[in-house]
Amino acid sequence: MAERAQRILPQKQSTRIVWAASLGSSLLLLSLPWLVRLDGHPHADWQQFLGRFHPLVVHVPIGLLVLVPLLEAGGARRPALREAAGFVLALAVVSCLVALSLGFLLAYGSGNAGTGVTRHLWGGVVLTIVVLICLLARPQWYAQGAGYAYPTLLACMMIALVWTADQGGALTHGSNYLTQYMPGGMKRVLAPGGVSSASFYAMHVHPILDANCASCHGEGQAKGGLRMDSYELLMKGGQDGPVIVAGSSAKSVLFQRITLPPDHRQFMPADGKPPLQTEEIAWIKAWIDQGASPTLTKLAGVAIREELPAVLSEPVGNYSALMPEIQKMETGQGAKLKQVSANPSDGLVLFTVDAASTFDDAQLAQFQRFAPYIVEAELGRTAVTDASFDTLKQFTHLHALHLEETKVTGAGLARLASLSQLSYLNLSGTQVTAANAASLNSIKSLRHVYLYNTPAQPAPAASRAPQPKEKNAR
Amino acid sequence: MKQHPLCTDTEHAAHVLDLAIPVHLKQEWAELQTRRHFLGRAGKVLGWAAAASLLGDRALRGDYAATGAQGGDSLKVPNFAPKAKRAIYLFMSGGPSQVDLWDYKPNLAAQFDKDLPDSVRGSQQLTGMTTGQARFPIAPSHWAFKRYGQSGTWVSNLMPNMGRIVDDLTIIKSTNTEAINHEPAIMLMNTGNMNAGKPCLGSWLAYGLGSMNDNLPTFMVLQTKLNTTENNQPVSSRLWSSGFLSSEYAGVGLRSSGDPVLYLTDPNGVDREVRRKMLNAVNEINRQTYEELGDPETNARIAQYEMAYRMQSSVPELADLSKEPQSTWDLYGPDAKEPGTFAYNCLMARRLAERGVRFTQVYKRGWDMHDNVTKVLPIICGETDRGCYALITDLKQRGMLDDTLVIWAGEFGRTVYSQGGLTPDNYGRDHHPRCYTTWMAGGGVRAGITYGETDDFSYNVVKDPVTVRDFNATILHCLGIDHNKLTYQFQGLDQKLTGPVPASVVPGLLA
Repeated sequence: MAERAQRILPQKQSTRIVWAASLGSSLLLLSLPWLVRLDGHPHADWQQFLGRFHPLVVHVPIGLLVLVPLLEAGGARRPALREAAGFVLALAVVSCLVALSLGFLLAYGSGNAGTGVTRHLWGGVVLTIVVLICLLARPQWYAQGAGYAYPTLLACMMIALVWTADQGGALTHGSNYLTQYMPGGMKRVLAPGGVSSASFYAMHVHPILDANCASCHGEGQAKGGLRMDSYELLMKGGQDGPVIVAGSSAKSVLFQRITLPPDHRQFMPADGKPPLQTEEIAWIKAWIDQGASPTLTKLAGVAIREELPAVLSEPVGNYSALMPEIQKMETGQGAKLKQVSANPSDGLVLFTVDAASTFDDAQLAQFQRFAPYIVEAELGRTAVTDASFDTLKQFTHLHALHLEETKVTGAGLARLASLSQLSYLNLSGTQVTAANAASLNSIKSLRHVYLYNTPAQPAPAASRAPQPKEKNAR
Repeated sequence: MKQHPLCTDTEHAAHVLDLAIPVHLKQEWAELQTRRHFLGRAGKVLGWAAAASLLGDRALRGDYAATGAQGGDSLKVPNFAPKAKRAIYLFMSGGPSQVDLWDYKPNLAAQFDKDLPDSVRGSQQLTGMTTGQARFPIAPSHWAFKRYGQSGTWVSNLMPNMGRIVDDLTIIKSTNTEAINHEPAIMLMNTGNMNAGKPCLGSWLAYGLGSMNDNLPTFMVLQTKLNTTENNQPVSSRLWSSGFLSSEYAGVGLRSSGDPVLYLTDPNGVDREVRRKMLNAVNEINRQTYEELGDPETNARIAQYEMAYRMQSSVPELADLSKEPQSTWDLYGPDAKEPGTFAYNCLMARRLAERGVRFTQVYKRGWDMHDNVTKVLPIICGETDRGCYALITDLKQRGMLDDTLVIWAGEFGRTVYSQGGLTPDNYGRDHHPRCYTTWMAGGGVRAGITYGETDDFSYNVVKDPVTVRDFNATILHCLGIDHNKLTYQFQGLDQKLTGPVPASVVPGLLA
């Protein structure tokens, strides 16, 4: 044992004293969270001032610590790398201690005592201890050139590092930062759970709070003792009492704070984060005013549009070679192609209004060479028939198709199913039958279909619009 | 003889001297031509100098030609992909009362005949009509309000039909203007400037976006017949003037009775072939005038003659309502069969939109109720409520509301206090610029919302104010135009609809 200690400890007396002193102070620092408890109240400003450098400084030990295993592994081939590893590890210990003390100042100074902060703090302490042990265990391993203890310690260190960093990230960016835009399938595997209920709270209020408030008032941090990441916690309120008074948005602190002028000291979300949108505020107001219920699915006076995701329009290819022809059409009489906007990749619109009565399937076929560039075809009131679908199915970038008041019956509409971006189809005033209209279901991208005044959807029976009453006095 | 590019009818390209007109006129013309030729050519340098001084140096550089009649238009495209291709603007001239129609203030009922607190009115300048009043008694709305739709919007019982479509509307309660009298206010709304001489919204759109259709004007104006029980403030063609833009971009009005366009039908004995010949000759004379003087307005005139010729066939088709299905009449009501009514104009606006007209403005006068509100307001609401409802509903069922923007606005609102005597049964309301309610619907705007808030007296905007500049910038945005990019050099400035004071698109209104 003494022999072993001989190997670990430095030989010179003076160095030993420095060693002992730094080890002692490190242990003292590490025990600080026990000695000085986080009490959830803000303290001196200078603590917060220094503490706010924690998010900056913390990246130094992270970088150094990631480097250590790499250098050790590389050292198997290039011994010089392994020599450097010792130095990097020593630096890492110092930077860990600095980052830890700044982090503690931040938590203590700002009065942050949520579970996330506590976890992150202890993660930092454990990590620093593991790194210290690594530093102590290394000389023996280095001298022997073998053994599993040190590599195992390094692996533990990496696990502690990742976990602590993840906790810290959740504090600054919110717990759903990484999962928010995760592809659906991945999310189900990696981040199951979440809200499934169809209540107004679950569908509309919770997502707003989650996106705007939960990074400070959530699982990670609970500023002011308030957590808003679940219905129960939200209704429980913070250290100064409830923030929601069911039935009265005016009396609810939460509503008061989000509707202050944005430059007000008490405005929420704080720290220059964007204010809630008008509509979001209106929803929260309606929800509180109507009882702040966790189960109510519909609120009076709140219209929520159910929206399918918009069909994304892909930019069309380069048609500059066809521009002379397009410009020639412009000056002549008859059908015309016009650019949607000054951005050529927005595509072209086919206008036929000037030649509507004579524009037939044969004329449409002449636009085939423009087919991939046409995003909207205005064929209303023209002489086109169902045969036009064969030409139209080649309009690969078509978003909107107007066929109102044409002779189209809808036979073969399914041929348009290959148009992956077609979201608007107007068949008003045509002879489209209900049977033919059913085939529209095969066009998945369709969002707006109009069948007004067709056999599929006859014009509404005569209904008299209400007349104002003679007198509706107050 | 050179063929004018607009005279595509080569068969009938004719010289004046080929026309069937009296011989002495032909002689006179020939002499004039010789004399004019001599003087014209000799004085050409002088003519150019004069034209240049009148038009600015850009006439010489040819910038005008690019905005004139010749093809330059064809490349006009929106700045970005637009949500709406066209717009219908229902202009409620006179200043509708937001207090009685949209801006529900239930707390006012208890304050009947109490004085409007001075703190609310502040230092506001009043019109000459009420500035002498000893007191400003609060006149709560005579009508009850009801909540409608999923959005739960409060709408006055005067407009039961509008109530049915509130979820399609974007209601702006915080519109406010700088002008307090009709003329400057209505000019400001339409042209972005209180003084006459600037182009109106429709002209800017026609200039900026070009036409979608060759056979009808890009910008059309429909006036509603007067109802003599209403206080009708005059409107005139300065409201659809193209200002310093080419007069091609001016609005073309359809008359409310008789022929929709005067002198459009050929006189007895003149067939279309003769008309074509005549036009070709007139165009030739105009072309020579243009060569001589270089005034782009001459080209605008040629274009207008050609447009009128094409309208000889397009307008009768437009005005022929015989093919409208019964459901149309059920929707718009029996009034729609009578030309010049508001309902008829709403129907006509839909037909114009179908035929590729970029911008249609319907004027309805009579909202200027300084007195007798309880008698007159129900009458005017009876005229307009169903038309507005029918137009939105019709556009929606036909799939046109997706790419048509409908706008309903007056030039200002009305005061919460009574002008003249206040009795339990009647009151008057003066002009009120600080807040008034407008609405939009359709392409580009967010349906089913109410934007902006006013104070408890519907007097001041307390949240999300929308100035006239912002209002117009937002309309342009919906049509794919950046209001800062749609400019025209005139009097040494890059003129634009929203004027020199910064304006901004209102994101809260957009879909």
